[in-house]
Amino acid sequence: MALDRQLEVLAVCGLGMGTSLILRMTAEDALRALGVEARVENTDVSAARGMSPDVIIGQGMHTSEIAELAPVVITISDFLDKEGLEAQLRERLTEKGWLA
Amino acid sequence: MTVLTATDGATPADWREAVRRAARGLVEAGAAGEGYPDACVRVVEENGPYIVLAKGLALVHARPEEGGLAVGVGVTRLAAPVEFGHPDNDPVDLLLAFCTPDPDSHVGTLSTLARALSAGLADRLRGASDEDALTRALEEALRDA
Repeated sequence: MALDRQLEVLAVCGLGMGTSLILRMTAEDALRALGVEARVENTDVSAARGMSPDVIIGQGMHTSEIAELAPVVITISDFLDKEGLEAQLRERLTEKGWLA
Repeated sequence: MTVLTATDGATPADWREAVRRAARGLVEAGAAGEGYPDACVRVVEENGPYIVLAKGLALVHARPEEGGLAVGVGVTRLAAPVEFGHPDNDPVDLLLAFCTPDPDSHVGTLSTLARALSAGLADRLRGASDEDALTRALEEALRDA
């Protein structure tokens, strides 16, 4: 079903202040390139446990801990790889019917 | 005003020493307190080597209450790379350390840094001819931060 609202995206890392901020900017660029209206926040893994976003993005060592928190969980190693993240987002959001 | 530092040719024995060396530049510049380097090591011990956020590149940092006195960014280029135990991004030859006095002050600087990294800053730093060139490349990237 298509989303009739903004996509809620969470970029996670260990402290939630630096590394995930850089990931957030990469994710914002990738989502913009896909034409997806989204709100991207960054936080640490512990705080993420109290949230219920549509999409979580982070490194495998963190996403494996919170894989049940969101319908779409994306693991990436290179937080600067906009094209790689865009490709993963395109595939996963299309699967959900969230990408027109 | 962001405090900027650069160290070239560091020869740490392992990742802990590399992290401490990267953070020490911020201490020497007066942007962070004495306990900051060890706090940066603990971040990795407790949360994993996720600070290695791209191939060969680590973003060294700790919470502001661990000794952040001002917003600072330091680049440290290693003479020989070290392993952090990251599944994909090892070995690391370039470390960017930052500190911030509170949870918000660094956001503008880090955003600018992220843009610069996306635009190839890491390779410009790797290609810098010496420590002065490292400093200039960092200054150029963060001039508007």
